[in-house]
Amino acid sequence: MVGATGALISLLISREGVCLSQAGELTSLNTTALAALVAGMFAATKEVATIVGENQFSILLQQGDRRHIHISLVGKRSMMVIVFEDYTRIGKVRMEAKKAGEAISRILEMPVEKAPDEEGEIYLPRFKEYALNLVDRIFRVDEEDDGAHQL
Amino acid sequence: MAHISSENQQIVFKLVYFGPGMSGKTTNLHWIHAQLAEKYRGELLVLDTEKERTLFFDFFPVSLGRVENYAIKFHLYTIPGQIHYEASRRLILEGADGVAFIADSRMGHLEKNIQSYRMMIDNMIDLRIPVDDFPVVLQYNKRDLEPLIELGSIERELGLSPGIPAIEAVASEGRGVMQTLRLLSMEVIRKFQL
Repeated sequence: MVGATGALISLLISREGVCLSQAGELTSLNTTALAALVAGMFAATKEVATIVGENQFSILLQQGDRRHIHISLVGKRSMMVIVFEDYTRIGKVRMEAKKAGEAISRILEMPVEKAPDEEGEIYLPRFKEYALNLVDRIFRVDEEDDGAHQL
Repeated sequence: MAHISSENQQIVFKLVYFGPGMSGKTTNLHWIHAQLAEKYRGELLVLDTEKERTLFFDFFPVSLGRVENYAIKFHLYTIPGQIHYEASRRLILEGADGVAFIADSRMGHLEKNIQSYRMMIDNMIDLRIPVDDFPVVLQYNKRDLEPLIELGSIERELGLSPGIPAIEAVASEGRGVMQTLRLLSMEVIRKFQL
């Protein structure tokens, strides 16, 4: 997508605001925050659509002075975000987003088959033990500063 | 439910700070952000009005480190507490792995807390979140502002099971804030399934 349109970045994000896949000049942008905010924008737009009697708007376009964002729905639970600079390429961006969106949507809607080693990749009891240790260490409670107690 | 990405090798848990307007949800997030070392925390986004009421949501990501080759991340969100932001609340609850319910302990605010908790349950049912087994931590915030509602009164009014973890807090001073986050995160990890 980035190659075909000359875009700065392209992201695939979930409706919950998590970045699923990304490509392009990622170091210049905070993609985690971008994903969370775009998901929020899209949800708000869905409500706006309802108010004006539409089910939802499938494309959102934000035009800036230098950079622009094209956001399109992919399947039922994802969105594609394309950040680009040359606004004369909007037609190309729109066309490529549609093509890629349809292809990704087909993949996402395929029945999920677990890879044979998928469960072996994360051994849950050990994962939980290590993750709990991290939480214990990082979300620490300083007893002197924290007068709270669990009821 | 947690978002597992094999491609990015990361697991993202979504924690939501829910509660009535002005109960201290944003204050909790600010405190957590200030307490965590820089290597763990991402940028804090605060989208509020000029009167410091959350308009859309507040958000920041926490990266705990790697376990079993997967980066573990927590995305912390607050909801706008005011009743008329129903749409934003539903969006933020969608895909949540756990909720910290931030209650306002001031006398006279009991009904607001109850109403907000009921709204949360209604939203969860709409989103098909299994309410009974869902990680929730109840924070009685503003324990420095007397007169106070009695501890346990929210659970009693709502008929909640007595096992729900509850914490006293003064979020503006950081009391109880990290403990709430820690309890909730642990509960979320314990209930995590592939």
